[in-house]
Amino acid sequence: MDSVLAWLIITVIKILVILGIVLGIGAYLTLVERKVAAHIQRRPGPMVVGWHGLLQPLADGLKLLTKEDLFPRYGNRFLYNLALVLALVPATLVFAVVPFGPEFETFGIKVKPILTDVNVGLLLVFAFGSMAVFAIALAGWASNSKYALIGSMRKAGIVVSYEVVITFAVMGPIILAGTLSTYEIVQKQIEQKLWYIWLQPIAFVVYMFAVLAEMGRVPFDIQEAEAELVTGFTVEYGGMKFGLFPLVEWYVEGLSLSAIAVVLFLGGWSPINIPFLGFIDPLFFLGPLSPFVWFALKVTLLFLFILWLHWTLPRYRIDQITSTAWKVMLPLTFVNLVLTAVIAPLIWR
Amino acid sequence: MVKKVFEKPLSWLERILFLDFIRGLSITIRHAFRRTITTHYPYEKLTPPKRFRGFFGHKVVNGKEPQPAFDEWVERFKIKVEPGRSRCVVCMLCKRACPVPQLFEIEGEKLPDGRRRVSVFNMNMMLCTFCGFCVDACPVDCLFQSDIHETASYTRKDAVLNLELLERIGRDWQARREDEPDRIWIDDAQRQKLWYENDLKLPEVRR
Repeated sequence: MDSVLAWLIITVIKILVILGIVLGIGAYLTLVERKVAAHIQRRPGPMVVGWHGLLQPLADGLKLLTKEDLFPRYGNRFLYNLALVLALVPATLVFAVVPFGPEFETFGIKVKPILTDVNVGLLLVFAFGSMAVFAIALAGWASNSKYALIGSMRKAGIVVSYEVVITFAVMGPIILAGTLSTYEIVQKQIEQKLWYIWLQPIAFVVYMFAVLAEMGRVPFDIQEAEAELVTGFTVEYGGMKFGLFPLVEWYVEGLSLSAIAVVLFLGGWSPINIPFLGFIDPLFFLGPLSPFVWFALKVTLLFLFILWLHWTLPRYRIDQITSTAWKVMLPLTFVNLVLTAVIAPLIWR
Repeated sequence: MVKKVFEKPLSWLERILFLDFIRGLSITIRHAFRRTITTHYPYEKLTPPKRFRGFFGHKVVNGKEPQPAFDEWVERFKIKVEPGRSRCVVCMLCKRACPVPQLFEIEGEKLPDGRRRVSVFNMNMMLCTFCGFCVDACPVDCLFQSDIHETASYTRKDAVLNLELLERIGRDWQARREDEPDRIWIDDAQRQKLWYENDLKLPEVRR
């Protein structure tokens, strides 16, 4: 009875910590994005609210909350609100299977810093990722607007093609690790003294492309396409409802997919890796905190890389995007899969 | 000599290694760590060039009028010249030059001593296109355009410039910028310095 109670308390604490971290960081990533974009364009970005604009996300949130909540005439109110929930919940749920660090012990209780270490964790991640299509399709349909509908249909087309690609891309690391549990995959990488990016560079590149497509980032931001479609499927949303879509799509989903990329290819919380030889930890002085710092550092760098790409590249056409997915990316992942299957026994020994 | 018309298509090696992506990324990262080049507007303000077409003003009589044009116009219309007041001779040439003439409301008055002077000079900025034809038309260098460009107001009435306001703008301008040279002449060393600072390669600018 006592152990059940302890487990319950720990789980609630974990949920609160993860939700707080994810939504808080998600909100603050808007500031990071604006700063990165501004400096790439040689502007300083927000500078007025707080020191170097540090309170800007709060001001933005306050402004969005006080806006009028408009609803388009002849729209479908139920689906309109359902789309919002369908966008937010699966994107946040992905963090239930992201391992933030190794198992540690406090007050005599062993705690895994992962909400649920299910043995099909990766399957859950991509199941939740696919649900984002429903949110966007519903948002476009319920808004009763041609811009929103075109944007959501484009996004649906992209996500359907890239779901296939991303699933085959992560097949390589899964074969090497021999498990679907995210925690186990990182453990296997530490045991085998190998980040899977060294053996799976093609899968990593393809995965990054698919991440850009799923997040709706440039060069695949065809569903937003400010110049053509205003802002795509969010046109008819107002106030905080409008604020939630980019928050979910660009920041929460971006963070979760970067975290999964770190888990699959960059060895999760392990320090810098020399293939097959071992790990070098320049942050050894942090002691037991070092793995958590490494994980946060890798996710941050990967996310900043995505931002960097966004503010550098131009936009592709919809037919170019889908033909790249089906004609280039998918065959590449097949080749990668065969190669991985051939070399996998060498890793398992 | 070979003239380059198009970029060559990417080779296979360049496509596989994303060399075009990397080239673009290296440019943006170099710019990201350079100094920002913006003006923080409400806190810092740029001074517009002298020929900027902003709000209008009336230059006042201060002994620098264009001669002999000013004396001729004064004699013709029997204008009363007061130092420190508008140079306007009520010739209406500005109104005739204007593409929207109804924005001008100009009236003169006759003083007891038989001389005349301008009494009403209203310009409705709501209708103005800031084309500057009226400034070109002014024969006595009275009407001019200043560097005032923050022209928002709370009521439509505030957008009408009356004689008193025009004179005030003119006095302010003559105190601040009248003696400043125009930076448009090709032999102006200051102008060349401006171009040089902007790092523009114009054919007539010698480094």
